[in-house]
Amino acid sequence: MLSATPVAPIGLSADECLKCNVCTTVCPVARVTDLFPGPKYVGPQAQRFRLGPTLSPGTVGSPIVRTADRTVDYCSGCGFCSTACPADVKIAEMNNRARAALRAGHRPRLRDWLLGQTDLTGRLGTLTAPLANWSLQNGLLRWIIDRVVGIHRHAPLPRFAGRPFRARLGSRHRTADPAGAPPPDRAVVYFHGCAANYYEPHVAEAAIAVLERNGFEVIVPPQTCCGLPLISNGLYGAARDRARGNLTVLAAYARAGYRIVGTSTSCTHTLKSEYREMLDLEDDDARVVGEATWDICEFLLDLHDRGRLDASFGPIERALPYHAPCQLRSHGIGLPALDLFALVPGLDATDMDHDCCGIAGTYGLKVEKYDIAMAVGEPLFRRIRASGATEAACDSETCRWQIAAATGARLVHPVEILAEAYAARLAPTPAPSPAPTTG
Amino acid sequence: MARADVGIVGAGLAGLTTAIGLAEAGASVHVLAAGHAATHWAPGTIDVGVAPGAATPAAAIELLRRRPGHPYAIVAGDLAPALSDLRRVLRASGIELVGELTDELRPIPTAIGATRLARVVPDSMAAALGTWAADETLVVCSPAGFRDLWAEAAAASLRRPSSWRGDDRPVRVEAVTVELPGVAGRRNVNGLELATAFDDPGWRDAALDAIARVLDARVRGPGRVALPAVLGLADHPAVLAAARARLPLVPFEVALVPPSVPGIRMYRALRAALRLLGGRIQIGEAVSGTIDADGRVARLVAPAAAREFVLSVGAVVLATGGIVGGGLVGRPDGSLVEAVLGLPVDGASPNGALDDDPFAAAGHPLEAAGIATDSALRPIAAGDAAGRPLAANVRIVGSLLAGQRYLRERCGDGVAIASARAAVRSLRGGAVAGPERADHFGAAAVEA
Repeated sequence: MLSATPVAPIGLSADECLKCNVCTTVCPVARVTDLFPGPKYVGPQAQRFRLGPTLSPGTVGSPIVRTADRTVDYCSGCGFCSTACPADVKIAEMNNRARAALRAGHRPRLRDWLLGQTDLTGRLGTLTAPLANWSLQNGLLRWIIDRVVGIHRHAPLPRFAGRPFRARLGSRHRTADPAGAPPPDRAVVYFHGCAANYYEPHVAEAAIAVLERNGFEVIVPPQTCCGLPLISNGLYGAARDRARGNLTVLAAYARAGYRIVGTSTSCTHTLKSEYREMLDLEDDDARVVGEATWDICEFLLDLHDRGRLDASFGPIERALPYHAPCQLRSHGIGLPALDLFALVPGLDATDMDHDCCGIAGTYGLKVEKYDIAMAVGEPLFRRIRASGATEAACDSETCRWQIAAATGARLVHPVEILAEAYAARLAPTPAPSPAPTTG
Repeated sequence: MARADVGIVGAGLAGLTTAIGLAEAGASVHVLAAGHAATHWAPGTIDVGVAPGAATPAAAIELLRRRPGHPYAIVAGDLAPALSDLRRVLRASGIELVGELTDELRPIPTAIGATRLARVVPDSMAAALGTWAADETLVVCSPAGFRDLWAEAAAASLRRPSSWRGDDRPVRVEAVTVELPGVAGRRNVNGLELATAFDDPGWRDAALDAIARVLDARVRGPGRVALPAVLGLADHPAVLAAARARLPLVPFEVALVPPSVPGIRMYRALRAALRLLGGRIQIGEAVSGTIDADGRVARLVAPAAAREFVLSVGAVVLATGGIVGGGLVGRPDGSLVEAVLGLPVDGASPNGALDDDPFAAAGHPLEAAGIATDSALRPIAAGDAAGRPLAANVRIVGSLLAGQRYLRERCGDGVAIASARAAVRSLRGGAVAGPERADHFGAAAVEA
């Protein structure tokens, strides 16, 4: 069934291109390498060579079948071109589809397939965490993986958690059926994604602490990888399988009135937009899930706007560099983490004001792109090092791993800071003054 | 829902200087824009106006402000102080503006070998303004492989006396092409890449050495060298100083086709100033709003992933530009509509756009199309003699204002900064405000 408001055709938006090159000026990849000629060339410019075969009625906007330019593979998918374009050309989306077309009909490269399977590698890795973590820290093995698989030996791979988050759910509602769950006015669905499940359960625990502090019970229905790593690696078919699995479960909750809150800003953006924009899943499930999905900082700031956030944060007296990831900017919601940080007494959070850390999901892990990714993020790394702070915040897990590896700083999700601030309020502090609540 | 005292739509020169002015006055400001445009396209000069018979910008403005419906009729008095403010803001980022409104307009070379009149320019272009001495050579210099400045073609055109005005022109015009490290042989090199390369001190020295060697071999006697406007981005002042110190001729930058490096420098300087003042800026989606029954705009809305981004505002400034900038949208019947609030457009009769002669001496009516305003820059219906504002808390600034022909009058930058300053005064309840004193600043109100 077609949705009432179909997403604008991506491929045809190339006709709106004025050739003004504004996209080129904001492209972090073209800034550092000659291997990528820039979004204008591989996007709207090359697009006219790709459109022909799909221009029959009813297929407009369907995946492109030809591509004119293989350098599109060097697009990291950060999306800045699309946001900067004054003519609303869907450049990044166009490039993503062109990359999928490059891969279509070929067996995926083992490396790209592997990087797309974050749920599978996560499951295996957590089962064998001590061995897996030792292996991924071992220089010789990493050198072999570099040579054989094509994942750079210095690329920032996360450590597997000894026990996945889903094994620590306690008595929380966790079935696919909303029946029996606490009502939607005092409960939310939590989409943890692969990162919080397999690598960073502490992020999930911080999210639950913050949500429960605000009177929400947390429901954790069965879920799989959102599919973004597969989309990024051009594996749309497998991504659609993951999407359908998630949509079936989440749509039931969305229709029952639950909001879906996620800690991975790239997962939440995928649920909101990419199922429809990239995977052409234009059905009602995709619509209701998209509209019910909130990035956690967006959700908490909305609570605050309506006077429902418990803003009695305790003090955190330190400086905190903050990096807004590319995927967060694609949400078009501003930088809600900074507004929340402003509610924490003593916290001196500063936006590092840099476009991209370079990693762009799995892009910077690849041997041929590692150096590009490090060069893209270098100004950010320099700023964080120069700040002298030992801790920095960022909403996206792969960015956190990249920045941590490059700077040596400890990287946290904004919700970890909020959880710490709530805990600081509970702790006995000298003469605590009540934090102002508005609304 | 986000909140701001003033929501500014558009992140060009008009929108950013309005936001800076309001933030300096104590307002919380949030800039929303569909994308980058004006600053990244414009040459980086501050064009305030030209007019037949006017020798200086000030004289041109005197003529323009008398044209019926021209924005300068309302805001000309704000131009000089607005220019001082702009100088101060840009100076903080190392961009020095050279030239006064009362100085003579001068022909400066363009990338296609024509000349255009300018007076207020960034320091990097200032050397183009001076009178040509009798023995002075002009050298047009371009990196080999760089396609946005063809030195031979530009020089061939600049050799023609008709490209200049009178005898004040270089005695010789030469073209040189220089192999710069890592550039020759490349198929795609844009100005931004070269500018970024110049920011690197090592590359900069090697490139300037290469240029100096070629100039030394080719040119005897005094002269100036026209270089593409790529002399650094983040570290531009240092690149300019190094070029002056190292090159045997006096260098100046020539503006290129977009992306405009001088324009991006200016954008970055303005953005940095706004952020320092606590202003917010969000680029990426087309903004819309509606005028409530009480004649005010309370919210600006931008499409976001799966739902809308809503900004609750006390006042709105529209700085969305004209037809090129996207502030005015053409409809299939030839009429125009204002993009954010759907305001009626002055100068856009249905079908008129398609029927009028595009080559008429007086110009095409579309050139002057825009939003008519009262003296406080609030939008009014076209031809409403009573001047009843259509929205009490909305101000119109920049190229969206009706009555200017910014392509031929070259008044776009002047109207942008002057109307920005007038809008700031109006929203502060200053002298521009009409019968209704502005009360839009909410809790952060600052009375003038």
